[in-house]
Amino acid sequence: MRRLAFVIGLAVAVTAPLWVWNPYHLHTLIMAGIFAVLALSLNLLLGYTGQLSLGHAAFFGIGAYATALLSVKGGCSPWIGLLAAIVLPGVAGWVIGRLALKLRGAYFVLLTISFAGCVSLVSVNWMDLTNGPLGLPGVPALEIALPGLPALPLRSKTAFYYVVLLAVMLAYLLCLALIRSRVGRALVALRENETLAASVGIDGTHYLVLAAVISAAMAGFGGGLYAHYTRFVSPEVFLFTYTVTMVIMVVAGGKGTLAGPVVGAVLFTVLPEALRAATSWQWQMLLYGILLVAVLFFLPEGIVPALRRLRPEPHRRASPA
Amino acid sequence: MTRAIRALSVALAVLFALGAPTAWAQETVKIGVIEPLSGPVAASGNYVRMGAEIARDWINAKGGVLGRKIELLIEDNKSDPKEAATAAEKLIVRDKVPVIMGAWGSSMTLAAMPKLEEYGVPMVVETSSAASITKSGNPWIFRISPPSEMEALGLEKYLKDFGIKQADFLAVNTDWGRGSVTAFGNLLKKSGASVGAVEFMDQAATDMNAQITKVKAGSADTLFLTTSVEQITLVLKQAQEQRLTRKVITTGGSSSPSQLIKQAGAAAEGTYHILFFLPWFPEAMPDGKLAKAFVDEWAKRGHPFEGLTEGFRGHDGILTAVEGIRVAGKADPKAVQQALWKVNLMGLNGPIKFEKDGPAGKESGQSKPSIFIVQVKDGKIALPAFVKK
Amino acid sequence: MDQLLQHLLNGLLLGATYSLLGIGLTLVFGLMNVVNFAHGEFYTLGAYAAFAALALASVHFFLAIPLAIVAGAGAGAICERLLLRPLRGQSIDTVMLVMIGVWIAMQNAELLGWGGVARSVPTPFPTQPLVLGPVSVAPLRVFVFVVSAGLILGAHLLLARTKLGRAMRATFQDRETAALMGVSIERIHTITFAFGAGLAAAAGALLGPVFLLYPSMGDLASLKAFSVVILGGLGNFAGAALGGLVLGVAEELGAGYVSSGYRDAVGFLMIVAVLLLRPSGIFARAERVG
Repeated sequence: MRRLAFVIGLAVAVTAPLWVWNPYHLHTLIMAGIFAVLALSLNLLLGYTGQLSLGHAAFFGIGAYATALLSVKGGCSPWIGLLAAIVLPGVAGWVIGRLALKLRGAYFVLLTISFAGCVSLVSVNWMDLTNGPLGLPGVPALEIALPGLPALPLRSKTAFYYVVLLAVMLAYLLCLALIRSRVGRALVALRENETLAASVGIDGTHYLVLAAVISAAMAGFGGGLYAHYTRFVSPEVFLFTYTVTMVIMVVAGGKGTLAGPVVGAVLFTVLPEALRAATSWQWQMLLYGILLVAVLFFLPEGIVPALRRLRPEPHRRASPA
Repeated sequence: MTRAIRALSVALAVLFALGAPTAWAQETVKIGVIEPLSGPVAASGNYVRMGAEIARDWINAKGGVLGRKIELLIEDNKSDPKEAATAAEKLIVRDKVPVIMGAWGSSMTLAAMPKLEEYGVPMVVETSSAASITKSGNPWIFRISPPSEMEALGLEKYLKDFGIKQADFLAVNTDWGRGSVTAFGNLLKKSGASVGAVEFMDQAATDMNAQITKVKAGSADTLFLTTSVEQITLVLKQAQEQRLTRKVITTGGSSSPSQLIKQAGAAAEGTYHILFFLPWFPEAMPDGKLAKAFVDEWAKRGHPFEGLTEGFRGHDGILTAVEGIRVAGKADPKAVQQALWKVNLMGLNGPIKFEKDGPAGKESGQSKPSIFIVQVKDGKIALPAFVKK
Repeated sequence: MDQLLQHLLNGLLLGATYSLLGIGLTLVFGLMNVVNFAHGEFYTLGAYAAFAALALASVHFFLAIPLAIVAGAGAGAICERLLLRPLRGQSIDTVMLVMIGVWIAMQNAELLGWGGVARSVPTPFPTQPLVLGPVSVAPLRVFVFVVSAGLILGAHLLLARTKLGRAMRATFQDRETAALMGVSIERIHTITFAFGAGLAAAAGALLGPVFLLYPSMGDLASLKAFSVVILGGLGNFAGAALGGLVLGVAEELGAGYVSSGYRDAVGFLMIVAVLLLRPSGIFARAERVG
């Protein structure tokens, strides 16, 4: 049953550009894909380690700025930029993880918020580097350049859709592999009972820092994709609303599940656009807030766990995914 | 639980169904509008919307354009560039608008610009002030608001009358504030005056006492203030509390001195304001009759008087867009873009006519708006003595 | 020297308002373990309630403030009964997200109801500053400082000295025992949340006249309240009160002598320093309510 749903979902996703002829709808799907990568990355921390990062927009923003700066000011290939968009946030994640994960819990939340606040202010005030509040227009599109062939820019929506789809699948598989591995089991053990985990020799801080690094790098990758898609980066990428959106997607979708963040990302990217179509601007955000409260009120564990409970499988494997 | 899920999916399905395009929309000429209608600058965005709606109703009362009525499709960009880009995409692809007006803030406009190029749809820029908007080689941009440099040039002829020797700057930490500081700073340096302290404030900040204390420690005679009317109110009140005595000049045209008089009281006395529309003296505007009619209509609709200094932008923007459609003879984006170059009309601010700006071959259009200066005197708005003569 | 004195005075006046914002939040977090992202919205609600009472119902200024507190506490009580009570036992993230939803909905409802145009609240205080040697201060700000200090002290006494305060602390320390002792658990939850919301509304009613009223005014208030709570130590009442003052002065000096563009970074950097050096807050030894 679950496998069937998965296959149908995948088939729908792969063929989407064939029947989604409207570029605006495709645009919405691309944004949903980028946010799916972000939500998967946040879920790695929130869902599997129980640590909430409320500064995830910082990793997203650092990724976006890294690739934008390298390709606009440094003249590098966008692919090198994307690589930097993975490495730099990863390093930042390592530093934050080392500093905060000894303390964990609320302190991790607070340190990540503060970190995001500082980075955001740097992006506004360090005019020479970031161009300040003016932002960086003219970020180049990704392109496939094979030796001997003319460069093929991925400027069209369909091409970029597949790039993003590939990114989501990579992120999904990475999370899956991680969770099935020893690392994943250690993380879940730590989340459930740290004392017990420590007694069997699991070094909590080590694993948590590892999760923070991977999560930050994934968020940065999402930021890099975002920069090359919107072709414009400004300090607003550090807005708290981006973090809030990611948290909404993970918790409402179902934290600690792999499908949850993806479902949450699609739903909460489509919802604002559906509201845009359904009502005039005065009501959109108000209804968004009310719907958010309603979803959580009726499905406090998130959508995916609720759906699972709906159809209990007789031979359910005890897999954390 | 099941019921909840079912209810939720029904709700979503209804939302989507409601979103399906309606048949009657075919009969109108649609114009996209992207403004910040919620979030920290919601007031300004809504004033521009109100002005745009007046222009719509007036044009429709005269029979619309191309024999059809015009319809405004208004989108909220939530003061977020991502939302501005998405709104542009939605207006172009889903609603097939031939022209857009927006998107208030420069970063919102810059974020929407790649979409204009991608689909080839022109946008009339009504507020944004960043120089890069017309300099980056986007031929779909037609700006009717002045970039900061142009605004500074408008002040140049009065510099002697102000007698500025040294000026401090206090500006909002955005592209607009930063651009203003550079433009007016250059103007002052060119004319032999010097620049003292340059201080910034966050867009949401409410307590500017630290900046004011710092400014007060210096020896400048003038303070240039660039930010929203809300922050100008707070700065003036807090400057009064700290007994800061400076000639204050606000830039950017958003300052709405009437609101300042109402909310900052005596603290607003003596301040100068660079504006692009003078609702107190409609007869002194380039088209006095039009200005008078607009001010009256605004009052009739119960809109706050303070909003007029922003609201006129919406009117002029829609007027320009519709004129583009009229000259083009059809509601087609490419034709409207070509036609906008031929637009020559009288708006509330003054004549609107586009000149080429930016890299050759891919120029954007920039109109040269009129710039006015007023002073708060005895709790009323007055033209300064040196302007009258 | 004169400049430094003025900066310090500004910082203290600003800090007192941060303290008032922080104690309500720290109370709800420390006692109920609820991360209340809607705190700033109760602040906004208080400000608009005071404005409505003053400008629309022509109530006297000094009466408008208690009315705003009642409005805020009432809204808090409703919010607790309708949303938080059914979700008790759910994870802290879920409850936090519900409060984020409340924040978005309340802010946009305010935008719908009042419009985006900023409003100012008239006060009976003269606008001419009081001049004390080299420094000057507006009479209204002195009034706000005094009332804030009074409210903080009053809240402290209520928690520490009254039977209700003891019941509140007991409930959140040991639910079962408190219930056995005859404490009505449900009522205490509602009262605690209403208390926190009322304090936020009080801050709004006091600061509305100092600054301006607009629908998104609560965002900055929430941000500052969270900073204060962290500086003082989570759930630490006295810590939040002192943390507010420290944050106010530090921001003021940072903006005055370092860079005004980085003004808000001062608070963040202090938080990072505190977390690394003294994770239980600067005032860890002070009495805790949690």
